[in-house]
Amino acid sequence: MIATLAQAGFPEAMSGLTLYHYLFISAVMFVLGLIGFVTRRNLIVMFLCTEMMFQASGIALVAFSRFYLEYTGQVFVIFVLTVAAAEAAMALALVVLLFRRNESLDGSVWSLLKG
Amino acid sequence: MAEKLAYLWPEVTLFLATCAVMVIGLSPSAAVRRLCPLISGLSLAAAGIFAIGTTPTLADGAEGLMPGMLPYAKAIIAAVGILIVMLLAGTVDRGEEEELAAGVRKFDPLRLTSGEFYAFFLFSLTGLMLTASADSLIWLFLALELTSLPTYVMVTISTARSRAKEAGVKYFFLGALGAAIFLYGFALIYGGTGSVHLGEIHHQITLQMAGDGLNGITLAGLLISILGIGFKIAAVPMHYYTADVYQGAATPVTAMLAFVPKTAGFLALILLCSAIGWHYGETGHALPDTIRLLLWVMAVLTMTLGNVLAILQTSMKRMLAYSSIAHSGYMLVGIIAGPGATFTESGISAVLFYLLTYGVMSTGAFAVIASLERTHAERTQTGELAYDEADSIEAIRGLARAKPLLGWSMVICALSMLGFPLTVGFFGKLPLFTSGIAAGELPLVIVLGINSAIAAFYYLRLVSYPLFDEAGDEAGGFITTPMRTRPAVAAIGAVGVLAMTVFAGPLMGLAHDAVQPKLHDSDAPIADEAMPTEEAEPVAAK
Amino acid sequence: MMISPLLAAADTAGVGVAPAWVLAIPFLPMLAVVLTTLCAISKNKTKLPAWITVGCLAGSFVVTMLAFMTLSGETNTVTAWRWFDLSWGDGVGQQMVANLGFYIDNLSLLWMMFVTGLATLIAIYASEYMEHDVGKGYTRFFFAFALFVFSMLCLVMGDNLLLLYLGWEGVGLCSYLLIGYFYKKPEAVAAAKKAFIVNRIGDLGLAIGVMLTFVHFGTLEYAELFNSAQLQGYIAAVQEGRAGDVPLMAQLIAVFLMIGAFGKSAQFPLYVWLPDAMEGPTPVSALIHAATMVTAGLYLIARMLPVFLVSEWALPVVAWVGTITALLAATIGMAQFDIKRIMAYSTVSQLGYMFAGLAFLTSTGGVFHVVTHAFFKALLFLCCGAVMHGFAGQLDLRKLSGLWHMKGWRIVSVGMLIGCLNLAGVPFTAGYFSKDMILAEAFVTPGYGYSLLGWVLLLTAGMTAYYTFRVFFRVFTGPVQFEAGDEHHGSDDHGQDGHAHEDHAQGHFHPHAPGIRINAVLATLSVLAVLAAGLYFVSPDKHGWVGDMLEESTAHNVYTADHSAAAMFVIDGDTHGAHGHDDHGHADDHAAHGAHGGSILGMDPHKVMYYVSAVFGLTGILIAAWAHGPKGLVSGFIGGRVEAGKCRMDGVAAKLGPIPRWAENKWYVDEFYHFILVRPLRVCSHIFHMIDKLLVDGLVNLFGYLPRLLGRGAQPGQSGVLHGYALSMAGGVGVILFIVVMVTL
Repeated sequence: MIATLAQAGFPEAMSGLTLYHYLFISAVMFVLGLIGFVTRRNLIVMFLCTEMMFQASGIALVAFSRFYLEYTGQVFVIFVLTVAAAEAAMALALVVLLFRRNESLDGSVWSLLKG
Repeated sequence: MAEKLAYLWPEVTLFLATCAVMVIGLSPSAAVRRLCPLISGLSLAAAGIFAIGTTPTLADGAEGLMPGMLPYAKAIIAAVGILIVMLLAGTVDRGEEEELAAGVRKFDPLRLTSGEFYAFFLFSLTGLMLTASADSLIWLFLALELTSLPTYVMVTISTARSRAKEAGVKYFFLGALGAAIFLYGFALIYGGTGSVHLGEIHHQITLQMAGDGLNGITLAGLLISILGIGFKIAAVPMHYYTADVYQGAATPVTAMLAFVPKTAGFLALILLCSAIGWHYGETGHALPDTIRLLLWVMAVLTMTLGNVLAILQTSMKRMLAYSSIAHSGYMLVGIIAGPGATFTESGISAVLFYLLTYGVMSTGAFAVIASLERTHAERTQTGELAYDEADSIEAIRGLARAKPLLGWSMVICALSMLGFPLTVGFFGKLPLFTSGIAAGELPLVIVLGINSAIAAFYYLRLVSYPLFDEAGDEAGGFITTPMRTRPAVAAIGAVGVLAMTVFAGPLMGLAHDAVQPKLHDSDAPIADEAMPTEEAEPVAAK
Repeated sequence: MMISPLLAAADTAGVGVAPAWVLAIPFLPMLAVVLTTLCAISKNKTKLPAWITVGCLAGSFVVTMLAFMTLSGETNTVTAWRWFDLSWGDGVGQQMVANLGFYIDNLSLLWMMFVTGLATLIAIYASEYMEHDVGKGYTRFFFAFALFVFSMLCLVMGDNLLLLYLGWEGVGLCSYLLIGYFYKKPEAVAAAKKAFIVNRIGDLGLAIGVMLTFVHFGTLEYAELFNSAQLQGYIAAVQEGRAGDVPLMAQLIAVFLMIGAFGKSAQFPLYVWLPDAMEGPTPVSALIHAATMVTAGLYLIARMLPVFLVSEWALPVVAWVGTITALLAATIGMAQFDIKRIMAYSTVSQLGYMFAGLAFLTSTGGVFHVVTHAFFKALLFLCCGAVMHGFAGQLDLRKLSGLWHMKGWRIVSVGMLIGCLNLAGVPFTAGYFSKDMILAEAFVTPGYGYSLLGWVLLLTAGMTAYYTFRVFFRVFTGPVQFEAGDEHHGSDDHGQDGHAHEDHAQGHFHPHAPGIRINAVLATLSVLAVLAAGLYFVSPDKHGWVGDMLEESTAHNVYTADHSAAAMFVIDGDTHGAHGHDDHGHADDHAAHGAHGGSILGMDPHKVMYYVSAVFGLTGILIAAWAHGPKGLVSGFIGGRVEAGKCRMDGVAAKLGPIPRWAENKWYVDEFYHFILVRPLRVCSHIFHMIDKLLVDGLVNLFGYLPRLLGRGAQPGQSGVLHGYALSMAGGVGVILFIVVMVTL
């Protein structure tokens, strides 16, 4: 499983320490995204925060992929990017629609349904 | 590749229909546009038939860990999907179509959304079926997203009211959060095991557990992804959106939300858990303690919170939304119990059977609500016509007398959701109890019992209001919708509940077969010996 | 679990597999239910529902006859599908299987034949009888009718007690629906409610009995139950005179099942609902409340006879209760004036006979009487119905006279005569043979005062003959006189059918004679009722055809359980002790008759009973003729009635003081129940209400309050604000992860 890239003459495997650096970055990005999502009111910024969380996973995936010397993780990232692009399109459409209704991008305006 | 395609025929069928619907939804002829729901329904029927015809095998490694689940899951998805598409028919563009027919407005393809609406519905169901066939994390992620993304749009465009937009915004943003969470979990699982293939992951996890326990990254990945998938099944703590979204969307879309994402979530959970632990029942090992505890806490909180919040509601849609949360909690008990030798000991087959049961009865109940609408359509501030469906529980007072079909359908579906003896809801819940007991989860089963009792508080309102009360002023403001398919779905739901009660045995048998391994012929004898079921001698002399 | 429809139920000894087409018997009526529902949905306004029902029921009857021809004498089961199957362990009693499966043996075949056959005939009759209601009501009627037949077949054919229970509740429901058919009439609604509530008491008994059966024997399936070593052991113990060895629990099962049987079959003290049930349309009274449903209790006891045999008290209680019911109902029947009610009381009384018959350990007598009674009582009811139909609801025998002489009423009159002869037990009628068998067994069977019961039953036979012919002489003979009833048999739409009924307001009333379909059914039933007597001669050495049939079923269990009988078996020799339940040689039993020398006046009861009961029956008829017969029937002693409303009995009744009035008021049983049950219940309910308010409500409220409180606590979380949700979700994920990880790692 692990040997595929090495056999193709690829450089040596990534060290465990380097991997943890990447994972740390990814975790920080994920948490920052989460915090941003929770604290910000603007819908566009909130969406960008989820994008950041997606990309945090992307970093982790690429790092693991490099660590295991195989492509699967990188392929996964491509798919993640595709889905993220689709979500971005939807988010923008939604934001436009909502702005037309309320002339505001504040997420807390939409709080009539509750209980 | 070809083998993979062989069991993707249902999805391929749905995809082709999706393309067709998207095109003909823009036709200038109203008669052609009206074909959209019909084509959707037919393609679902075809997909269901293809699904029944597939016999997945294990040995070529192309399938997930639960290959037997494919035909069953896809068949119930197609069956409930047909009900939902009947309910959805005519939901969007209703005012638009009326104005076109009256000649008030000229045909403008940009203003019509029905093509996309049905296409999105079919996309979502394609995703749902793909979830059942998933054999790797990438596939699973894509399938789950394909299931969810269209539903965000459907919620938003389902009515012209702002509450639909509010529901859409909440659903989309929180959904993106949920997706980000389980994606991060998937990334960590890949990191911890070095593979995205579920079979390989299972192998790695088995090795790790045989060694010094689960690797920290794998465990973190599993915990995070289960919590993230909790969004799809509306489990605590990811349940917050549920009531608002269910209430805001048009009722047919709500009915869809109660079935589609929940089924996707449970299929994903079953696949993930089968990769972690119990592999083919008794031959595998139990879930690791940490994951068991996580599911345990989620199950208890989910059913309790769902039920206690449902009691307080006066809106039927919110009540059913919270009850949908509670039902997810019940089903989590089955996930914790895991597979077993007989149907009553197998939590997984209990979950699969309950998904079907819940799909039929909740669709029936929502169809009753969708069939009641205000006597007059109103114009929203953007100038679109909005047809408001019943929502307050006052609307069904005396319904059994005023509109017997709808009233009795509500009574039957509500009794079944309550788990009243001799309804299919009872037979659905029973194996959850017995499998819990068989798995030694007695405290959890007690919580389940208490919760079933609490649920009676609000379900009995849905029974007694139509049956014993006089119609109040508010109930007078509603008429049966002119869309004939909606009351039909209510009736089919109620008849389905009754019919499934009679045929509970065979259906349970199908659900049980779905979790049995289907091996190649050469391996077949092993399967037979490994699974001594009770069918050999049903009435053996004692 | 395997999904194999038509999966054979069993390899259990002696139980074979019936072919799948047998399933058509219950499912054809179900098809009729579905089709009539469709008629209701499509708002059909024709007689289509009737023809659908008749067609399906006739199909069902044909299949039943086929089943009889190919399967009789064997015990077969056929499983439609596994209904449910629960297991919570591997031990005995930890698996509960209930199939939608059918158990076809001679006993069920017997019931199936007369249920489907009579149902077909009565459906044809009803298609004419109910035609004033064509439309919604007509469809509703046939829907409930077909559903009734389906439920009854489930009850009779089910291969486990749970399916029997389902059918039991099903027939109860249909009976409720049909009694309350004229739902705008308060009496009908009250009667329906009464029937439902009284039946509930019985059903509770049955439910407890079924549960105890499962708890004790670990199975609900007949095949398994009857072959269980446990039950066989008990039977053997009783046969060897060790009845004390049978655990109390096993004995209680029979007692609870018996309570269920008493409720459904209208036995004392639960009989009060049946006479009131006559508020329903007459075809319903004929089918449900005379011929089929009320015999469900008999079926239950006959089916579960092996279980009854192990109880010391159950069968004697059945005998006493049956006899008391027979006598009580007959006395009430003598004093009633409403002919349908007289028939109702006679049904209660005859059911008492059947119970007594079963309890005297001659299932043959009891079941034979069920079969003959089904035919002649259905015939009697349908004749009453024809009268009611023709005379705008008139049922008072003081206001009808001389129908025999009226044009178009001859078939009804002949049918009535045949029915009455049967019911009165006139020699060489079917009713005569079946009743004799029960009476004779009462004297033969040793038991707790059984010969006293025999005399009481004989007396009752005389009374039966009297009140039966009282109706016949009053209504069908004598001068032609009649008054129209004040309503059109309870119909709520009065003027729709245009016959005669508008006229009678102006003083002209033309009774309308029954049409071709009613007459055809009456004629068929008359012939069948006459022919039923022939059944006695089919296998004379086995007490007739029914005895022959039952010999092959578990209901055949003559002389095995009673104390003294058991003792005698031991003395008699070893032939009996070792017998299982279904392989008794009948010849042995026959030989045993003499051995335990019950006798009547020192002679063999079976022979002497022919004469004795004939004398009692004919005496009853003579008294009826003297008191109610028309002038000129036989000049002199007989008759003398020249008016519809006056007869010689009036003078006699006047001399008896208040007794006839008491009897007419049904011995005030309803009032008594009201006094001792309803009134104290009200008082109790007030007391309980207080306790309830203070204590139970408190608890319940607490239980209701806690979830609400929790909900209120959780509700602020559902603030409706997007980032509030996001925060809660993120926080929740964090907290749960923290807890889970801290606890387990």
